[in-house]
Amino acid sequence: MDDDVLTTLKLLIIGESGVGKSSLLLRFTEDTFDPEQSATIGVDFKVKTLAIDGNRAKLAIWDTAGQERFRTLTPSYYRGAQGVILVYDVTKRDTFMKLENWLNELETYTTRNDIVKMLVGNKIDKDDHEVDRNEGLKFARKHSMLFIEASAKTKDGVQCAFEELVEKILQTPGLWESENQGQKLRLGDQEQGGGRACGGYCSIP
Amino acid sequence: MAADSDPESEVFEITDFTTASEWERFVSRVEEVLNDWKLIGSSAGKLSPEKGEYTSGTWGEKCQDINFADFKFYITHHFLKQECEKDDEKDKVEEDAFPLAMQDLLCMNNDFPPRAHCLVRWYGIREFVVISPGTNCEAIISESKCNLLLSSISISLANSGCQVPMFVQIQQKWRRMYAGECQGPGVRTDFEMVHLRKVPSQYNHLSGLLDIFRSKIGCTLSPLPPVNITIRFTYILQDWQQHSWPQQPPDFDTLLGGEVGGVEFGKIPFGACEEPISELHLATTWPHLTEGIVVDNDVYSDLDPLQAPHWSVRVRTAENPQCLLGDFLSEFFKLCCRKESTEEVLGRGSAEDEGKENSDISSALNKLTEPVAPVPISKLSVSNMVHSARKHIRRHRRIDESPLNTDILNSVLLYVFPDAAVEKSSENSKNKPAQSNACGKAEQDKNSDYNLFLQLKSAPIDSLTYRLALCVCLVNYNHGGLRAVAHLWQEFVLELRYRWENNYLIYGLAGGPPDLRCCLLHQKLQMLNCCIERKRARDEARKVLEESKERERKVSGSGQNGRPASESATASASKKEVSPGKSWDSWSDSEDEFFECLSDQGEIEAPHTEGEKDGSKSKAEGRLHPYNNMTLLNSTEPLYIPVTQEPAPMTEDLLEEQSEVLAKLGTSAEGTHLRARMQSACLLSDMESFKAANPGCVLEDFVRWYSPRDYVEEEVVDEKGNTVVKGELSARMKIPGNMWVEAWETARVTPARRQRRLFDDTKEAEKVLHYLAVQKPADLTRHLLPCILHAAILKLKEEEAVEDIPSVRKTIQQATSQASKLLHTPNYDYKKLEDFINQLMAMETVITRARSLKAKFAMCEGEKVEDTDELETFVSSLLEEPEVVVVGAGQGPAGSIIHRLFVNAQRLADFTSDEAALLAPLEEDSGRDRKQTAGSNKVPDFPPPAGREILVRTCVPRPAPYSKALPQRLFCVLMREEFRLAGAFSSDTSFF
Repeated sequence: MDDDVLTTLKLLIIGESGVGKSSLLLRFTEDTFDPEQSATIGVDFKVKTLAIDGNRAKLAIWDTAGQERFRTLTPSYYRGAQGVILVYDVTKRDTFMKLENWLNELETYTTRNDIVKMLVGNKIDKDDHEVDRNEGLKFARKHSMLFIEASAKTKDGVQCAFEELVEKILQTPGLWESENQGQKLRLGDQEQGGGRACGGYCSIP
Repeated sequence: MAADSDPESEVFEITDFTTASEWERFVSRVEEVLNDWKLIGSSAGKLSPEKGEYTSGTWGEKCQDINFADFKFYITHHFLKQECEKDDEKDKVEEDAFPLAMQDLLCMNNDFPPRAHCLVRWYGIREFVVISPGTNCEAIISESKCNLLLSSISISLANSGCQVPMFVQIQQKWRRMYAGECQGPGVRTDFEMVHLRKVPSQYNHLSGLLDIFRSKIGCTLSPLPPVNITIRFTYILQDWQQHSWPQQPPDFDTLLGGEVGGVEFGKIPFGACEEPISELHLATTWPHLTEGIVVDNDVYSDLDPLQAPHWSVRVRTAENPQCLLGDFLSEFFKLCCRKESTEEVLGRGSAEDEGKENSDISSALNKLTEPVAPVPISKLSVSNMVHSARKHIRRHRRIDESPLNTDILNSVLLYVFPDAAVEKSSENSKNKPAQSNACGKAEQDKNSDYNLFLQLKSAPIDSLTYRLALCVCLVNYNHGGLRAVAHLWQEFVLELRYRWENNYLIYGLAGGPPDLRCCLLHQKLQMLNCCIERKRARDEARKVLEESKERERKVSGSGQNGRPASESATASASKKEVSPGKSWDSWSDSEDEFFECLSDQGEIEAPHTEGEKDGSKSKAEGRLHPYNNMTLLNSTEPLYIPVTQEPAPMTEDLLEEQSEVLAKLGTSAEGTHLRARMQSACLLSDMESFKAANPGCVLEDFVRWYSPRDYVEEEVVDEKGNTVVKGELSARMKIPGNMWVEAWETARVTPARRQRRLFDDTKEAEKVLHYLAVQKPADLTRHLLPCILHAAILKLKEEEAVEDIPSVRKTIQQATSQASKLLHTPNYDYKKLEDFINQLMAMETVITRARSLKAKFAMCEGEKVEDTDELETFVSSLLEEPEVVVVGAGQGPAGSIIHRLFVNAQRLADFTSDEAALLAPLEEDSGRDRKQTAGSNKVPDFPPPAGREILVRTCVPRPAPYSKALPQRLFCVLMREEFRLAGAFSSDTSFF
């Protein structure tokens, strides 16, 4: 099964508590929705293999608890992640307002700076939207992120969000080929051809 | 032979190839190759090459094996890559134009190209084919074999209509003897060569060579068409005596002598130990002479190099000169591959040490677990701890056995642990590390290079890890290699243990949890510091407690309690709020860490917290501060945030381990549950603290603080018509039996300080110390490699900035990003790392070359500013280009310096070596009259030329006076041990 996997990617889901991070993940990995999803403690972990353009990528997805107190605990799992999904709840404005904090957190704890970020506005199945789609778009543009609105309950946008993210990671050179074939350096022009060709009598001792 | 005969003719006659000889087969193979390479047809029509194009353009090469019977040859096509395509011009070409090669024979634009095949230099051609014996094949020496090959060429060229000149290499390879031919419509050029060991005296000058040329072209026309002459003399300067190599290698011996300063450690050596420029070649050229303009015969010569209109210079660099930084790095890198453990390196004696150390460890552990009297910290001063640690090890090893000299060891340790030198009270020195770290960081932030450690995953410069790396490297290089490194490491670990056992923070590490962006060793050291910090806080709080107990005994019956004095003052000032004035910091340092000890603490606090209003309520403990003016749901008491346990710091390997464990639980529901349970320790601890701080609280209270979004508040209109806010737990918190409820029910009422420690600093510190102790020297090297490469890159940057070499600057940048990739993988690729180090070494060599050249072409005082600029350009071109034109030849600023260099070398050479040593360099009389030098001085300014090249060209009818006028060329090379004539003589094959 693992043989034909192109690469293993580490993804991360973060965001305020109760925005539906675990539900999004459950929808993506098991295609179910549990209205009785209990609040995550610390971090949780799921695996899924995804085929993108014929390439199979194994995804190790770390789901984190959103509570303030857990934030001292979870950032250690940010290490080495290639992609991150930042979730807010479209029906709760304060979860959107806190996004900036989460990005700072990410900045501080991720080990690579070319990590691909996706913003997901969750719970669009609900009626009482407090955050407009355009606001989400604007935020994502400002921070060079991917953006999608989704609903873990109705399935909308969930699969798409993960696929887009993975595709983007695979398109980013150097982000996922862990052992790069570092191209050889050449030192200016001096090294090339120096003394290679024989030049007239320049074999003078 | 004619393999490509008409298909139609085959019908009528049978061509029999069955009896073809090896020779015929060889000829047809050559033709086949020429066909394959598309070298057939007219080559004329291309423009004559631009001036200098042979140097600036790129040369291509195609090669193939070709057999003559079982004798292997290589056939190689050399050509100058030109932009214009063949197809475009083919139409324009007149039918019987000369082949390109013949035109090139006379072209003056590319005489003496500095980098090209020798045939290019000798014949001025831009394209040719060479057949040379294969490797391990004997040379073609016999005349008949040579002729056979030449005939083959001749036939192939004629058959295929190829106009590219073709050569065969004859005689021994080193002689570089070639004979060849070029064919065009009705014309042919023969390339012939003479090669002798000695220059025959009658040909040792221009007039003799012109005689050869004239007799060879055999022209009977009168007057003879003008002969064009180009002469080039080359002079070699090898003697740099008057310019002592400008950089003194750092004097490491001073360290071994009595005076030992800490200065040397922390620096990286740089520069060449030997002259990186071995020779300077000056070529003086007289282009476009005609016969009669200059006289050069056996008795007199007009050719004074100083008068030559054209000067150019090339420098020959030493192959891999020994450079300090390079040596330093590669010696260090070699350690990575050593397999020996520290014990094996240091021998049996240290194995005993190890045993004793272990017993020390266990005693240390006992000490920790024993109920201890306050540690007599004040009795110790930091300055003596290095020494005491050392004494400890010296007991087990005789001093003279130590691989590392005591003085050096002392100065290394002093450099690595500079705080040990500061003689201060323990209190002061304890505060010091934190402060110095803070301000050090602020300074470094300004530095643009500061973030380099993030790219390389090393450690901040001036951190302990970085300094250790420099020392290990230096100790390895200068003070005893592997054994000394092992010794230093042992001492280092010992010092760390000493600090751990005596509650001294480790100097030079940023506070807080391990920085996962740094190398693992750095993280480990930070981890140890975390442990020390917590242990110290615990011990201190205990001390304070004992003191206050003491006090309490004296002030009996008062409301005073066991809290620190400062705080009890606050407490008595406002009795209702137990400890609102306390800052988070002071708490975290003292009481926070009190877990699991002092069971009587609660009782002491009892009278203090006494629930004054409600006697039935249990007393609150471990309050931090009230939370947003909230009150408990079931009472009017304010909701307090409790003092909680700090989360456990983690290094990346621990983290890796933990996430592996968590990931291994699988993705099933049980797995998820188990994972949550494993991680709920922190939640449980917080709940217990919360319960202790808020007597009478419920889960809802806890959730309002801990996960406010899970407490849903709604405005409801009650029966009286008032709007009231009603709140309840969110749906997910109400799920029966969910982990939060479960934990809440399990949670006892325990303040953080009486809980079990979530982070066992004793255990973690011992783990770190053990980890460090078992690192072999090779492991240590691997740990420190990023720091060393970091330091080397910084050093190169610094040195490059002085010299300003754009190519090096660019390479450093590329190298940094390459290193970033190499060092971020968990398992280093040693082959690539070695290549990388070689890159760094190459950069160092380039910088040292620049430095050496700059010193040699330094401007003397009082000369013009424009000249300085010109010299700078000259030096930088010398570095980048194979041959550099001297502007103004012998009269320009660079020219006069070169002249002076030669004059000085000549003067020195003229004296015996003793006298030479006494003779001062001639720098002062640089301004003297040139004529005087040339005339009155017996010693000539220049040595005899190491090489003379004389190129004569003309265009005359040959072989008969009525033949076409065709290019004729003779290139003569005269050296001390070589005499070569390379002639290209064309003849008309139609009219002769």
